[in-house]
Amino acid sequence: MKLIIKNLKKNFEKKEVLKDINFEFEKGKIYGLLGRNGAGKTTLFNCLNEDLDIDSGEFYLEDNGSMKKISAEDIGYVLSTPNVPEFLTGREFLKFFIDINKNRIKDLKTIDEYFDFMKIEVEDRDKLLKDYSHGMKNKMQMLVNIIASPNILLLDEPLTSFDVVVAEEMKEMLKSIKKDHIIIFSTHIMELALDLCDEIVILNKGILEEVDKNELDNEKFKEKIIEALKEG
Amino acid sequence: MVKSFITSFKLKNTYRVNSIIYSIKQIPIIKRILPNTLYKNKALKIIANIISILMEIVGVFLGKFLYVLLMIFLMLQIYKTNTADTFLHIFTFLTLGGALLNTYMFDPTKDKYYAMMIMNMDAKKYTLSNYYYKLIKLIIGFLPFTIIFGLMVGLPLWVTLLLPIYVVMAKLAVGAYCIKDFQKTRKARSENLPTKIQWTLVAIFVLLSYGLPALNITINISIFLVLFIVSLILGVYSFIVIKNFNEYKKMYKQLLTETNMVVFNNQSTTQIIKDNNLKQIELDVNDTSNKSGFAYFHELFVKRHRKILTKAVKKQSAVIALILVVVIIASFANNEFKTITNSLLLSYLPYFVFIMYILNRGTTVTQAMFMNCDHSMLTYRIYRTPKVILGIFKERLKTLISINLLPASIIAIGLPLLLYITGGTDNILNYFSLFFSIIAMSIFFSVHYLVMYYLLQPYNVNTEMKSSTYRIVQGLTYFVSWYMIQIKLPTLQFGIAMIIFCIAYSLISLFIAYKYAPKTFKLRI
Repeated sequence: MKLIIKNLKKNFEKKEVLKDINFEFEKGKIYGLLGRNGAGKTTLFNCLNEDLDIDSGEFYLEDNGSMKKISAEDIGYVLSTPNVPEFLTGREFLKFFIDINKNRIKDLKTIDEYFDFMKIEVEDRDKLLKDYSHGMKNKMQMLVNIIASPNILLLDEPLTSFDVVVAEEMKEMLKSIKKDHIIIFSTHIMELALDLCDEIVILNKGILEEVDKNELDNEKFKEKIIEALKEG
Repeated sequence: MVKSFITSFKLKNTYRVNSIIYSIKQIPIIKRILPNTLYKNKALKIIANIISILMEIVGVFLGKFLYVLLMIFLMLQIYKTNTADTFLHIFTFLTLGGALLNTYMFDPTKDKYYAMMIMNMDAKKYTLSNYYYKLIKLIIGFLPFTIIFGLMVGLPLWVTLLLPIYVVMAKLAVGAYCIKDFQKTRKARSENLPTKIQWTLVAIFVLLSYGLPALNITINISIFLVLFIVSLILGVYSFIVIKNFNEYKKMYKQLLTETNMVVFNNQSTTQIIKDNNLKQIELDVNDTSNKSGFAYFHELFVKRHRKILTKAVKKQSAVIALILVVVIIASFANNEFKTITNSLLLSYLPYFVFIMYILNRGTTVTQAMFMNCDHSMLTYRIYRTPKVILGIFKERLKTLISINLLPASIIAIGLPLLLYITGGTDNILNYFSLFFSIIAMSIFFSVHYLVMYYLLQPYNVNTEMKSSTYRIVQGLTYFVSWYMIQIKLPTLQFGIAMIIFCIAYSLISLFIAYKYAPKTFKLRI
């Protein structure tokens, strides 16, 4: 399965933020989306998630040669700031999500199994989400986005708010689920991108391009990425 | 000092000009024509500058004019006492209350924040120069009106000239007192959060202003003169205290904190709204739900927001019931009251549009729905599928209507009952008209608010209100409801028209909501 973007354009008034995006993202890989501040990473995500209307172009899923329009069920979008309904407990939030996704979840687990998977402590599971820490809210957000196993996972700076231990857990978790998803991961942190992602994609001057690692070692590769980011 | 003042004035003017341009850009239609580079545009800048200066000039006089006119001059008619003395009396005591609430010095404004905290201007120079400017504006602003109104009520000219100076002296005295207080306690208190003692004092001064003349007691010119001399001595001493005080920076560091700066900017205001909404969440161990899916989700929302949902309308209903009982008792006790009530009931039904508007909890409830629920949930794509949006919409509609129906039904039963008690009517249909039109209005407002919320979802992810259309619709709703107050129509005809309108509006808007909400109900970016 592939996510294909063709000639996507997005302007804000006269400013061309996304000029001409063409790319194919494949299932089974984690893509690291790098770009300088204001390059339009979040705008790209918002377009793919249909929070913003695009000016022209198209994007769709391709599975075994057949085209498929992207529906709400296909996308999970994890924002950098966690957004969870604060009046529910962690358990209730999960229950609600499982309820409305019932028909689509292939191997339904119990709520506690999901908590275990995300390493959320037993004593926290029945607390109101408003009393969760920032990192725990982030975990919950990640979890409900993964539960229904959407084809595409958009992660906007998701690991920055975690402490080192949790960040490591989350990295392992992402690696463990990547075979079933197209994961696009935006970040400012180069080490994280190099460590976790299979491909590095750069958003610069409104255009998306892949940086080939070839035979380069990490240092050389880094230099190449920075060069690419400075270009133009 | 002068230089410092000019710099700060320029600074203030710059962002005032920018905010004028910003508000021009908020107007629908016009905003489409105007580019983002607007803030560079010379001509527009000049226009905005002129508006800004006009605002400054109007600001000097308008408030003072209204204050002297409404709070003092027009109040004189109530009293039988000598008008000149009463004018002097009210002015003297209100000034004391005003000085307590409005010091300028202890008002945490964004001007001060920008200048002293962000631009790092010299705190003492900045504060003193702006403080003097403020005091001079006070004298200039008051003078024309103390002279005009003072002479009209028969005060000698020299007294009317002293009045503005007296105001300034009172302000200086309170300012110096607060500084002394800061020196002693090391705590700077915002004037926008007055203490209980302050409130009590203000209440006493207001009572003295308006209460004593009612008892035929007022001060006269000689007493004012004594008070003026006292204020002058205090004022001069206070001036020295203020001028010699050297810790303005420290004081404002405390004062200009986020919590004090309620009106500092959009984000913190909405943050405060959001925090207040979060405080409304209560977790009771018994709050569970046996439903599933969105019914489950919504039921938990309702149960955990009892404070703003059910508890608030219960209080409302109790107050309405109480008023009803009082009116009923009064009708039995007084025959004149009885006939008036009867005729009012048969011709003032339009008034109840406004009352139903005021009573409706739609704005508060939709705001809580957004802040505590949709704000986070709308970021999940699955929550925005038509099935979920409409499912939750239906649950919410039921809740909102039933919440508002509680107080409404008391009015709806109360009005026909009152009509009957006060002598009844020839046409029995009037009873039904009263009952059903009140119920219809209540349902109408509930539907209206919820549909508008779903169609125009006005907030963005930072919980800032972004839709000017939504504001306009809100304003229109208010205006139309308010306009109804002036209308006098026979209850029967108006009632029937109202019922038909409410049913038609509800059906049409629900149809539109079902059709478009899945597209329109999302976070603004």
